[in-house]
Amino acid sequence: MRLRSTPFLEPAARAGLILGLCLLMSFAARAQAEPPSEQAPPSVPAPMHEHAQSEAGGCVGTGLKCATAVTPAFDAHENLWVAWVAGGAVSVARSTDFGRSFTDATTIGQYGDLIDVGADAKPQLTIDAHGRAVVAYGVFKDKAYDAQVWISTSASIWAKEGAAFSAPRSLSSDPASQRFPVLSFAPNGRLFAAWLDKRTVALARRRGQTQAGAALAFAWSDDAGATFSSETIAQDNTCECCRLALAFDARRQPVIVFRAIFAGHERDPAVILFNSEGNPAREQRVAEDHWSIDGCPHHGPSVAVSADGALHAAWFTQGKAHQGLFYARSENRGQKFSEAMPIGNAAQQPGRPSLLALGNDIWLAWKEFDGTQISIKEQHSTDAGRHWTNPRIVAQTGHAADHPVLIAHDGAAFLSWMTRDQGYRLIKLETS
Amino acid sequence: MIRNSQASWLIAICILFAQARAYSADATTIRPFDKDSFAQIRASYTHQPLVVHIWGLTCGPCLAELPRWGRMKKQDPGMHLVLIQADEAAVDAVKAAVEHAGLAEAENWSARFELDEFERASIDASWVGDMPRTLLISADGVVTTLKGVVDPGVVMRWLAAHD
Repeated sequence: MRLRSTPFLEPAARAGLILGLCLLMSFAARAQAEPPSEQAPPSVPAPMHEHAQSEAGGCVGTGLKCATAVTPAFDAHENLWVAWVAGGAVSVARSTDFGRSFTDATTIGQYGDLIDVGADAKPQLTIDAHGRAVVAYGVFKDKAYDAQVWISTSASIWAKEGAAFSAPRSLSSDPASQRFPVLSFAPNGRLFAAWLDKRTVALARRRGQTQAGAALAFAWSDDAGATFSSETIAQDNTCECCRLALAFDARRQPVIVFRAIFAGHERDPAVILFNSEGNPAREQRVAEDHWSIDGCPHHGPSVAVSADGALHAAWFTQGKAHQGLFYARSENRGQKFSEAMPIGNAAQQPGRPSLLALGNDIWLAWKEFDGTQISIKEQHSTDAGRHWTNPRIVAQTGHAADHPVLIAHDGAAFLSWMTRDQGYRLIKLETS
Repeated sequence: MIRNSQASWLIAICILFAQARAYSADATTIRPFDKDSFAQIRASYTHQPLVVHIWGLTCGPCLAELPRWGRMKKQDPGMHLVLIQADEAAVDAVKAAVEHAGLAEAENWSARFELDEFERASIDASWVGDMPRTLLISADGVVTTLKGVVDPGVVMRWLAAHD
């Protein structure tokens, strides 16, 4: 049987329908084009959501499971504490089972898209033997992407009514941009803080001069972070976008390894030590990598000090002399470092080092990426960095992951690591 | 009376009209960058010289350099320039920066979150995250990578040699 073709609509009705559709499309386009909606035409992807912060990797919320940057610290009662950033908020929580579960989560502050969590930035957390704790982090404060370092303190994280962290306040009173805080209680109980500070850059600009990078600033607190005294600039030409690394030496004074800017835009690792009066010495170059870049490496170093007094540094470079991840040690307070020792598989982007000293045992963990998997690898030394074990994979993921952090507890080394698919993990590193 | 061919033309004109209105009302379009975006970008400029500039809102040297790219685009409006903002950033802040730099009408993309290893590898397998970074991609697909702030002369000479 032959089917007869039947027009869907009569011609006049068809014209009316097309004109109607045309008008509808025109209105739809207008609705797309005018504020507040900012959708692009259908041929290109839709524009970004205004509050993307709360949806990192499809994870919604401010809980630990959505964290992109996590910092661990043990207290003297075997509790593991973590500070993290997720959904634009900074939070802390406690674990009594080595990171398998967390309780007592506290939100320190909520900043939305303004929290500084990219690349090398992480919230900082330090706890002293008396249970006093300090959290510090950067928050962007203006359209020029200047930042401010905020701190929050707890007089006792063991208090019956809870850790009770204070309302966050600015660490510095200077209006210049400040980022990348690092802080720790010194062995004598004083709190030391260092950060990258743009006050001398701002001063140079006011004088019509140009100063690259930022300054390395520091201050001490005698009341566990309630107040800081005598903010001081230790060094004036520091890479402005690489984290600082902090440890304490045998004299109980700070040791800071950082990326300095040397002549010719060379952003190579350097170390600053402090004398017994707490004053910084002039920086010493850790390696002559000659990484000349007028830009942001976004990649800071790590430092540890072993019981024999040797300094240990690990850093990433793309310099003329070296490319990749490297380790070196110094037996004379940084005056001379050993030849840079390559770490990891140079073809797999080795980077993000974390060093830990336990007596004369030195642990080094880092991140690698082979195109499909992100791995955390480790090597360790039992003779203060003279000889090292072969690299070993500790953990892997096929999804986005934080940088590795090594942490000590009860004489053992642990890897603290956050991944999108496996969540937070604390992994004990075996010595054999 | 409207025949089918006439109807098709009318619909096509309607679509064009609708799309033109969507483009013109909001010149600064920031497109979300993910691990598939770079392949899309390359496909859009097959067999054409392309300049890809990667920058970040939290990267001081990048922000200082950005207006220089605005001037280069103004000097050579025919340049195929694609900008990718690679830091975790609010879209309003990205818009403000590109508008300030005179790049509101350039092809702008931005990461929702800091680009991870997988997303960086989709652009350049050897890129570890340093910024700014510029890729000069010739019509036959040869990539020249410039690390750090560029010398505009290098870009303009490359364009002159590859047009």
